[in-house]
Amino acid sequence: MSRVQFLTLGLLGSLLVTTSATAQTMIQDTTARKQPLATWGVQFEELEYRYSDSDEELGVWKSDAFYGTDELKFRWLSKGEYAIEEQAYEGLENQLVLQTPISKFFDAKAGVRFDTPEGPDRTYAVLGVTGLAPQWFEVDANLYVSDEGDTLAEFDAEYELLLTNHWILSAALDATVAFSEDREIGQGKGLNSTETGLRLSYDLVDRAVSPYIGVVHERKYGDTADLAEAEGGSTEDWFAVVGARIAF
Amino acid sequence: MNASAFLVAATAMTISATVSAAGAHSGGHGGGSGEPGKASEVSRTINVEMHDNYYEPESIEVNPGETVRFVIENKGKLVHEFNIGTPDMHEAHQEEMMMMVEHGVIQGGTLNHDMMEMEMDMGNGHSMKHDDPNSVLLEPGKSKEIVWKFSEQGNIEFACNVPGHYQAGMYGDVNFN
Amino acid sequence: MRTTFLAGLAALLIPALGLAGEYNLTVDRVQIDTGDFVKEGIGYNGESPGPVLRFKQGEEVTINVTNNLDEMTSIHWHGLILPYQQDGVPGISFPGIKPGETFTYRFPIQQAGTYWFHSHSGFQEPDGAYGAIVIEPEGREPFRYDREYVVQLTDKHPHSGDRIMRNLKMMPDYYNRQQQTVGEFFSDAAEHGFMNTLKDRMAWGDMRMMKADVEDLQGFTALINGKGPEQNWTGIFEPGERIRLRFINSSAMTYFDIRIPGLNMTVVQADGNNVQPVNVDEFRIGVAETYDVIVRPRDEQAYTIFAESMGRSGFARATLAPKEGMEGVVPELREPARLTMADMAGMHGMDHGSMDMSGSSDMAGMDHSGTGSMEQSDMAGMDHSNMVGMDHSGMMMSNTGASDPFYAKGSGIVPVAANGGKFLSYADLRAQDPLYEDREPTREIELKLTGNMERYTWSINGVKYEDADPIRLQYGERVRFKFVNETMMTHPMHLHGMWSILDVGADQWNPIKHTVSVQPGTTVYMETEVDEPGQWAFHCHLSYHAAAGMFRKVIVEGGPDTTQAQTDAVVDNGGDA
Repeated sequence: MSRVQFLTLGLLGSLLVTTSATAQTMIQDTTARKQPLATWGVQFEELEYRYSDSDEELGVWKSDAFYGTDELKFRWLSKGEYAIEEQAYEGLENQLVLQTPISKFFDAKAGVRFDTPEGPDRTYAVLGVTGLAPQWFEVDANLYVSDEGDTLAEFDAEYELLLTNHWILSAALDATVAFSEDREIGQGKGLNSTETGLRLSYDLVDRAVSPYIGVVHERKYGDTADLAEAEGGSTEDWFAVVGARIAF
Repeated sequence: MNASAFLVAATAMTISATVSAAGAHSGGHGGGSGEPGKASEVSRTINVEMHDNYYEPESIEVNPGETVRFVIENKGKLVHEFNIGTPDMHEAHQEEMMMMVEHGVIQGGTLNHDMMEMEMDMGNGHSMKHDDPNSVLLEPGKSKEIVWKFSEQGNIEFACNVPGHYQAGMYGDVNFN
Repeated sequence: MRTTFLAGLAALLIPALGLAGEYNLTVDRVQIDTGDFVKEGIGYNGESPGPVLRFKQGEEVTINVTNNLDEMTSIHWHGLILPYQQDGVPGISFPGIKPGETFTYRFPIQQAGTYWFHSHSGFQEPDGAYGAIVIEPEGREPFRYDREYVVQLTDKHPHSGDRIMRNLKMMPDYYNRQQQTVGEFFSDAAEHGFMNTLKDRMAWGDMRMMKADVEDLQGFTALINGKGPEQNWTGIFEPGERIRLRFINSSAMTYFDIRIPGLNMTVVQADGNNVQPVNVDEFRIGVAETYDVIVRPRDEQAYTIFAESMGRSGFARATLAPKEGMEGVVPELREPARLTMADMAGMHGMDHGSMDMSGSSDMAGMDHSGTGSMEQSDMAGMDHSNMVGMDHSGMMMSNTGASDPFYAKGSGIVPVAANGGKFLSYADLRAQDPLYEDREPTREIELKLTGNMERYTWSINGVKYEDADPIRLQYGERVRFKFVNETMMTHPMHLHGMWSILDVGADQWNPIKHTVSVQPGTTVYMETEVDEPGQWAFHCHLSYHAAAGMFRKVIVEGGPDTTQAQTDAVVDNGGDA
């Protein structure tokens, strides 16, 4: 046997020995720690009763439920406005989106939105960006394309002012802009509507239950306002609100 | 090793029991701890070993007025002091020793001799020389002698005032027969 | 001389022959009563904290651990040097202990000092699965004491670990109730001027960082030996006695600043290893660290052991007293700490995108007004008063003012002693008897401590454990780890199985530890003699940071094969005796 062959054999032998030894002793980490951490949460940012300056009564919610990892989350976003006297949903939308980080503070999301209020329904494709802008503004911008081919954009911003570590004043602004008209659902072209809210909350149980009171101002603009007027609706409303933020 | 350490500890414990009894009635004698002795008057030699951070032995017995030659050897890895004085004297001296550490004169296992020779004023007339007759400061492996006369009885300890060492327990009692 | 020799010989042989102990631990569901609330948790032998395990150096221990839970468990012997299969990390050392199963740990006790043990499975440790380990040395200790007590701190939270992790992921500030308010804006404006305060808030807002991010997890009740502040754990002493207090921080997330008003403390051990004694008035104990101190109460009075959380959101309290039932004065909590731009320094190197660039100029400008009040007044307050009449020439070493080389210069979280005295710094720690020869490291490994508070993600070099390759070390090498903290939080980094030689600039006297705190905006070096084969965990010891991904597996390649290593260890042990 030549020396080289002998060496090769020896090397092979030792390799075999070491690999079998490591296979036996050095285990692979297959514990949960080595898996992406999946987590979930449910929040009602708004769950409130609204009373308008024209004596209209509404039950309103805005909720967010998610499940997923740092890299990919599934989100169910729901918004509803229920007219108590009419016993009808003035607004009801549900979004199912997937969300993934695109920068340090921002996520992109994509999915579908189902609007099923009183009146005609709509289904939209959703593309959005959500995150934390400088100076602690929580922003959420979405582009929607409906099954009718109409496009609109929605922009949400929220800011929390800590009066104390339990008394929080939050300001929210929500604006909708349409790029085309959808008369059937009372949507004109251009800036459609804004909703501005100011809520004073108190964290009663951790951050899980935070009752609040506040005021909300809703306004419709341009063609959308005209359409609303034509149907006998109001174009501007002030609401007193009472409710609670819920997280669990 | 184990057994010898145990023996020393055991002796130290029995001795310290007697000391606390003796110490109780010696409080009123003032702050004196004795004076430098004359070599000619030495009655006996006591060998004291420094370890990290304790002495062997951990207590000694002397007769009032006796002059003793201490041969002190540092068998540890750190710089240690052997200083004869009352607890109050030790406490005061510890502040000076703290300065010596902060000025880099004492660095773990070594002494900065150059700095010790410098005429540095530490404020209240003290210098970094560490040349008081009641004490020696030794690097590991070094040995020195002190001749000391226990001219008056009192609450006297031999102690290492390198910062932290006294508090860690590096001191021993001088018991008067 | 001859007898000593014989006795020595006997001592050499005895441990090798006879010293073996068997211990039994059960892992149980327990009720934990903090005085503020009662909560179901996990404990050992029916209680949390579990028992104090007392071993003797040189002993061969056998520990039978029976899992009475309905989920997997494990026990990690924190800080012990042992064969890696005995280290108790599921997925790295062994598969874990199944429900109903008894797992037997066997390893030689090679060291002495104060350590602890805890579950390394899920969030069992924050839920209460921890206990203390006290190892008596073979030889004489380099200090004396008449009595000793374990003082084990933890931060018991009314929420379970799983719930806390979920809440932090949902809202990273869920548990932070020390955020800056409108009121603080106006008080700051009154002190520093309106524009300065506005600029300060804008600079932080631009980074989307909170000055109040000192403690992720507030709302806990801090316990000492399982007792809340009201329940007041009490250690008895006789005046004049020297007491050794073995402080162990078994908290999930909380650092504590510990003092005993009226008593000077002499630190004699850090992380189980003897250090050259340091007299201090107060010290900060990081999560998972241990410090042994000696105190000598001379008066017939009660002394309060007061441990304020670093962020000042809570405190643990216990009492040393000549008689049961005596109480000392319990101090007030100090003002919450605020981070400064200095603590953010680590982030400058990162690419934040263009948005954040505008902030950096403000940062520079703000630095002084933001930190000025705090630092300067603290400094003035300190004023080295214990060094009367000294002229502070250039030779002056650190460790006297409100600065600490282990904190960013101008950091808002530099600890200051409540009585204006000496606060322990890492820079004060010196090995009493160095374990290793000092030598040049064979190579350096840089570990950036990274994270994103707003997403509650934590990682090393920007990579979470789930996506990371192991760190491979070669048996026999000496590795220099460079920790660069690019986050605004303090991270107690814990390498299993091998010592962390903390570089405090003292060469061969550098202390050895098992957990090294890296403060925000700082770089800390430690070296490791790679002398244990196998695979080991290496992670931030804040429970929720480790779970979020600030964790690595270390593989030591080469060296004696594992069975050989075990027998070697046993033989070594006999030899050391």
